[in-house]
Amino acid sequence: MAAMKFLDQAPRFLFFTGKGGVGKTSIACATAIQLADAGRQVLLVSTDPASNVGQVFGTAIGNRITAIAAVSNLAALEIDPQAAAQAYRDRIVGPVRGMLPETVVAGIEEQLSGACTTEIAAFDEFTALLTDSALTSDYDHIVFDTAPTGHTIRLLQLPGAWSGFLETGKGDASCLGPLAGLEKQRAQYKAAVEALADTQRTRLMLVARAQQATLREVAHTHKELASIGLSQQYLIVNGILPDSEAENDPLAAAIHEREQAALNAVPAVLQQLPCDYVPLKPFNLVGLPALRQLLSATPAQAQASIDPAVELDEPGLPELIDGIAKNGHGLVMLMGKGGVGKTTLAAAIAVELARRGLLVHLTTSDPAAHLSETLNGTIGSLNVSRIDPHTETERYRQHILETKGAKLDAQGRALLEEDLRSPCTEEIAVFQAFSQVIREAGKKFVVMDTAPTGHTLLLLDATGAYHREINRQMGSSGLHYTTPLMRLQDPELTKVLIVTLAETTPVLEAANLQADLNRAGIKPWAWIINNSIAATSVTSPLLRQRAMNELREINAVANQHARRYAVVPLLRHEPVGVERLLALTGENSRHSES
Amino acid sequence: MKIIQVFDPALCCSTGVCGVDVDQQLVDFSADVDWAKQQGAQIERFNLAQQPMAFAERAVVKSFLERSGAEALPLILVDGEVALAGRYPSRAELSRWAGIVKPAIEIKPAGGCCGGSSCC
Repeated sequence: MAAMKFLDQAPRFLFFTGKGGVGKTSIACATAIQLADAGRQVLLVSTDPASNVGQVFGTAIGNRITAIAAVSNLAALEIDPQAAAQAYRDRIVGPVRGMLPETVVAGIEEQLSGACTTEIAAFDEFTALLTDSALTSDYDHIVFDTAPTGHTIRLLQLPGAWSGFLETGKGDASCLGPLAGLEKQRAQYKAAVEALADTQRTRLMLVARAQQATLREVAHTHKELASIGLSQQYLIVNGILPDSEAENDPLAAAIHEREQAALNAVPAVLQQLPCDYVPLKPFNLVGLPALRQLLSATPAQAQASIDPAVELDEPGLPELIDGIAKNGHGLVMLMGKGGVGKTTLAAAIAVELARRGLLVHLTTSDPAAHLSETLNGTIGSLNVSRIDPHTETERYRQHILETKGAKLDAQGRALLEEDLRSPCTEEIAVFQAFSQVIREAGKKFVVMDTAPTGHTLLLLDATGAYHREINRQMGSSGLHYTTPLMRLQDPELTKVLIVTLAETTPVLEAANLQADLNRAGIKPWAWIINNSIAATSVTSPLLRQRAMNELREINAVANQHARRYAVVPLLRHEPVGVERLLALTGENSRHSES
Repeated sequence: MKIIQVFDPALCCSTGVCGVDVDQQLVDFSADVDWAKQQGAQIERFNLAQQPMAFAERAVVKSFLERSGAEALPLILVDGEVALAGRYPSRAELSRWAGIVKPAIEIKPAGGCCGGSSCC
């Protein structure tokens, strides 16, 4: 059996990083089992919000180190980043509840509800595991199914972020501010960061799928983490469709071709890394036998008896578009994690609305720019504009550094620069650019393929809340003011569509996104499940297996999460250009192609 | 030497980058605080989002919040007494409160009249 390269002479710390749904947790589990089977003492640490680690091992695990009876030499620990962030919020806000005015307390809680807080709170839970302690001295390997982001690590490395901060418990803070409520000492964070950057102790595995966009994203992560010292990196491409599957099924053949094209065009920076390929397996990655097989190079035979194709009777895009078109104008925002197909769906909706003779402005952050090139001017009532997130963010950063940062000293400037690298900055910069066109939505349709999170909207809306309060106190009705958030909260004007895939982690991430929007008073109008294999009539056994797995997720979206929803099939050809986009939304798309 | 305490509104970044627009006052003030500290001033900053207890514990700050709300921050105390509210102090004010005798020589940005100095 050809062993995986990333398992060769594995160091003490193994981190698996990659976006939700690429299979980090499964690979981390399989790695831990393999090392334990080889006689090493292993601790597996999972931060997967959809964690089924306990289920896999038949033991309830939770937030304490638990020996796994079914696998000798293995112990596991689950960290829930959301719970860690909540515990952190409680620690800060709890003592002043009832002491400070309620509105003040609510404001503080919102400040502590962003992605940065969650990230830092989770990292805080890690530090004890990365530094030498009685807790971990028994283990040869500690396997993490996640890794901290470059932003977090850089902040921890900046002296400016720490100046007189934790030592005295006061002073100013940056995005790192959340650490104020954490109990550990700077020395411990420093040791943790050093352990991460130590190539003798730490190996980082970048987990990807054979998809161009995913590989691009991974290349970015690689560069960012390598530049701060995590240079011991491996690439793992997971879930590759084997050649044999492509033979008898046109959809499987198309997917196979697309994957191979992506693998042939792996970004140059990734080509230097040792790389492992994990083929798509014909079984669910649940249970020990399945996980033991995951990393074996011998392709397992499709064993399962495959259920015949089900005729999926789920609503499609045409029904949703009927509902959108009714008002004659309005703002349509597609939200979701990267890679779920927001841009394509936004284009499909815009093209179909325009085909019905409605005035449409499609505004996209599509980095490839092919949309604006292929669509502009093709349909009379459709107008396409493009906002380049990278350019907008860079412009915003430069503007701030030149104007506002001009007088800072070196340390202060370094801190400001890092604050400007936070994910919030891009969100704000892009949203500012988008908000220019939002006001057009009073007269026509404005379709956007991105939107800020509820958290950012709430922070941006601080002024709006203030105005509302004044208005309420004055009891006046003649005042007219609207903030972007107020427009988004108005169901007559704005429809938010959440885009996801029919897989566990993406659905969970989408549900979190919805909860975040709800906090900001925005109720998503519908969900779109994109690239569904269940919505095709594929015959390839491997893909049918995946289609069966999707049914549970589609069911969860339909019954638990969405007020209304649509299922869009995975297509043989990427829907580029007006005709193929219309095929996605036209009346005949009910009977899905493939 | 007098102790200057600054009670900031709830900002997730001291530089205010996370706000809808970066507040120039805030950025200047952060630089001024660094400068004053180098001159030996004792300045403490408290961020409402991170150290709310510091607000709740001090009667004068707590009642300020109850009366005027978080929108009215920042609040600046010098030796425990209210020195300023609703805006950040200038470098000159900081120097005066802290008793920094050394004249604050500033390099003003070309063409700018308000380099955080006493002229505004």
